[in-house]
Amino acid sequence: MKELSLNILDVAENSVKAGASLTQILITERNDVLTLEIVDDGCGMSQDVVRSVTDPFYTTRTTRSVGMGVPLLKLACEQTGGELAIESVTQEADPNNHGTHLTATFRMDHIDFTPLGDVSSTVLTLIQGHPDTDFLFQHETDSGVVKLDTRELREVLEDVPLNSYDVMEWVGAYLREQYEELS
Amino acid sequence: MKVKELLAHGFVAKALPDGEREIDGVYIGDLLSWVMGRAQMDNAWITIMTNMNVVAVASLTDTSCVVLAEGVDVPADVVATAEAKDVNLVVSDQPIYETAVRLAGLLSSDAA
Repeated sequence: MKELSLNILDVAENSVKAGASLTQILITERNDVLTLEIVDDGCGMSQDVVRSVTDPFYTTRTTRSVGMGVPLLKLACEQTGGELAIESVTQEADPNNHGTHLTATFRMDHIDFTPLGDVSSTVLTLIQGHPDTDFLFQHETDSGVVKLDTRELREVLEDVPLNSYDVMEWVGAYLREQYEELS
Repeated sequence: MKVKELLAHGFVAKALPDGEREIDGVYIGDLLSWVMGRAQMDNAWITIMTNMNVVAVASLTDTSCVVLAEGVDVPADVVATAEAKDVNLVVSDQPIYETAVRLAGLLSSDAA
């Protein structure tokens, strides 16, 4: 994808589909390496499924035989000299501590590094589409941290839905302000 | 023209599970997600990428064949998967532009 943010959206949607109550999107930029982690507490995957999600001919969809979210993310990081790893614990294996942890590393100084793009929009799209599940977004660089935790928002807002217009506007502005302070 | 007819014009087959397929138009691109949304059914798709995802994108977009330009090497597992998934792979030893020009000539003389 032309921007990693679109790829992040695609993969984070898998976490929501896996029934996650909290999906974390953690980005760390340090010494020319960008580390992306997508962590969820969803139903998890068996080891066989973990192995097959990087296979472009595997998908949970039944309408077509090809799923491209993880394969394209893997390609994007590997073509910069980085790597992708997935660890997962199924709900049956551990009812109290299950979910999936994806880690992708990218060498930002590599000429084939795909720009991160507009991750704020990715976060907004996720909240808008799934107002009843929680997201923790954190983007850390040498100049500081951008952070949004919908659990904190929910505490303040009480019964106001997260995807109501005013809340979305506020979240957009909140992320924009934090990014301005970073640069 | 049919995919198998390319072989008489300097293209080399790597996998040809369905050589009878007709080629209708050409699409060029290496950014797979971009190609996924834009290549049309029955296009010959020219690229220099040779990873497994290429086979998946060709299968999704239902292109008639993948034309691998610049004489790139194709990994054996990619060839095997292409055979299994009914995806035609042919290699051109020329750069992308020259490959496209050659295809354009073949397709237009075929239509005439």
